[in-house]
Amino acid sequence: MASIDLTHVKKVYPGNVTAIHGVDLSIADGEMVVLVGPSGCGKSTLLRMIAGLETVSEGTISIAGDVVNQKEPAERDIAMVFQNYALYPHMSVRQNLEYGLKNRGTPADEIRSRVAEAARILEITPFLDRRPRQLSGGQRQRVAMGRAIVRKPKAFLFDEPLSNLDAKLRGQMRIEIRRLQRSLRTTSVYVTHDQLEAMTLADRLVVMNGGLVEQIGTPTDVYDRPATLFVAGFIGSPPMNLIPLTSMQGDLAAFNLPQGTDIVGIRPDKFTLERPSEPSLRLEANVELLEPVGGESHLHVGLKDSGETLVISIPGRPEIADATEIAIYAPASALHPFSAQTGRRTDSL
Amino acid sequence: MVENRPFLTFLTHLVLIAGVVIVVFPVYLAFIASTHAPGNFVSGLVPLLPGPHLIENYSTIWNEGLSSSGAPPIWVMMLNSLVMAIAIAVGKIVISLLSAYAIVYFKFPLRLLAFWIIFITLMLPVEVRIIPTFKVVADLGMLNSYQGLILPLIASATATFLFRQFFLTVPDELMEAARVDGAGPMKFFRDILLPLSRTNIAALFVILFIYGWVQYMWPLLVTNDSRYYTVVMGIKRLAASADTEPLWHLVMAAVILAMLPPVLVVIFMQRLFVKGLVETEK
Repeated sequence: MASIDLTHVKKVYPGNVTAIHGVDLSIADGEMVVLVGPSGCGKSTLLRMIAGLETVSEGTISIAGDVVNQKEPAERDIAMVFQNYALYPHMSVRQNLEYGLKNRGTPADEIRSRVAEAARILEITPFLDRRPRQLSGGQRQRVAMGRAIVRKPKAFLFDEPLSNLDAKLRGQMRIEIRRLQRSLRTTSVYVTHDQLEAMTLADRLVVMNGGLVEQIGTPTDVYDRPATLFVAGFIGSPPMNLIPLTSMQGDLAAFNLPQGTDIVGIRPDKFTLERPSEPSLRLEANVELLEPVGGESHLHVGLKDSGETLVISIPGRPEIADATEIAIYAPASALHPFSAQTGRRTDSL
Repeated sequence: MVENRPFLTFLTHLVLIAGVVIVVFPVYLAFIASTHAPGNFVSGLVPLLPGPHLIENYSTIWNEGLSSSGAPPIWVMMLNSLVMAIAIAVGKIVISLLSAYAIVYFKFPLRLLAFWIIFITLMLPVEVRIIPTFKVVADLGMLNSYQGLILPLIASATATFLFRQFFLTVPDELMEAARVDGAGPMKFFRDILLPLSRTNIAALFVILFIYGWVQYMWPLLVTNDSRYYTVVMGIKRLAASADTEPLWHLVMAAVILAMLPPVLVVIFMQRLFVKGLVETEK
């Protein structure tokens, strides 16, 4: 167990392509940090740099206080779980689990007891003598995690470990990974492009875009106070409505929006169809589409005048016909002010 | 053919049997000839049933050879062929595995150039470079030696290319997982890559063993000491006799014996061979 510190880490590929533009991040001992962002944002590269599979162009990475820039992955004492599991196909599950320990010269009886324990925790004991080919996706995923935990490494690195599983299994495994990480208290870095996975797994969330860190914070912080327009649009499903001030009618002066604000973000679930008791923003809109998704419904509306489309999620299944005119309300406290120019929040933290 | 029509069944079998007969008949004839007394085979009427001299003919050719043609006992030549074929097959596999590993998994300057140079030599058969190669071997004093028979044939561009293609299909994550697991380059090669290439190696071994066994021109050039004759070129010597009829019964016995090792290799490695060509195990 250990902390991981990244100080101004940069990655420049040959041909002057910069993949990571300087990232500072401190991961505390036992913490689970999730790197999330769209594909190509550099999150996997960053993880692979921590693992030692990619070189660091600038800056330092230290694990438990030691700078590891020049160390081989094995010397860093980390374990990695890959998206395609990367199990050794010609070895049995048991041999897969043992391999890393054998290479480290762990005594045979300790290997046996650690493998037995990992197999018990992950409930893969019945498959120990099978080949990976004979296992299902979920079982392979467990083996891949087993291979990480038998080593008792300083840190776990997860590279989109659940994206090859079907939706139901993904949900199950997500909970298991969380439970496992909680009980082992091993420092973990987890990469995903799935914001739901990120929200539910993370102690702290690192939202990345274009090789830059957009925001670091607890999932609720990031959700409640997105620091940039990108984060606002990326976290949350359906995503936050980002409405240019120019396309809103009505009196906005009353809301005391900070200097420089020209975009207002409002989460879909903050809208109501009745005027709330607190001060609120009133917008007039045309219903374009009603999407019932079960417990709630998503209402796609176009703002009157500007035609700007918003998504509103309301509980239950309201009876609203398409093309009717309605008024929607959002409480003042639900407005997130942003500046389109800087892309950042204007009511600075 | 989805339909089951008797005529079609008959026709397909007819074609199949004709094919088998065409391929097998000469071999059968060779075997028949090797069981008859000298002269029977050239008496005008070719016998089609086995004769009474099987054991006699085979033991003569096996133990004594044909001194009139300057050929040693066939077991000497078979042994030479075996040494040559196995050394060539094993050598080619080892060298190609290592060079393909270097080309695929290591980044070094001129890597691509090295690959292309190897690849281009695919198009050069032994015969094209046979004179300079002979000169080199002769200058190194390797005429009439196993080294001389083996070394010039021991590198294979085809096998290097095949292994390269195979290595490219092995997911990178496997190598990365091995690195995280503390396996260095050679350990990864030995523990992961080699077992995965098992079927490919077996398939190549069959092909390369036969390639080594049937070498004719090169052994003919570099050996003139009968102790180093290989069996395929030895047969030619057995058949070439001045002024007299070749002793066909003994020549054919040698032919049958020379055919056996490749057949055995194919039979025993057939399962792995087919697997190696068909299956991709990753």
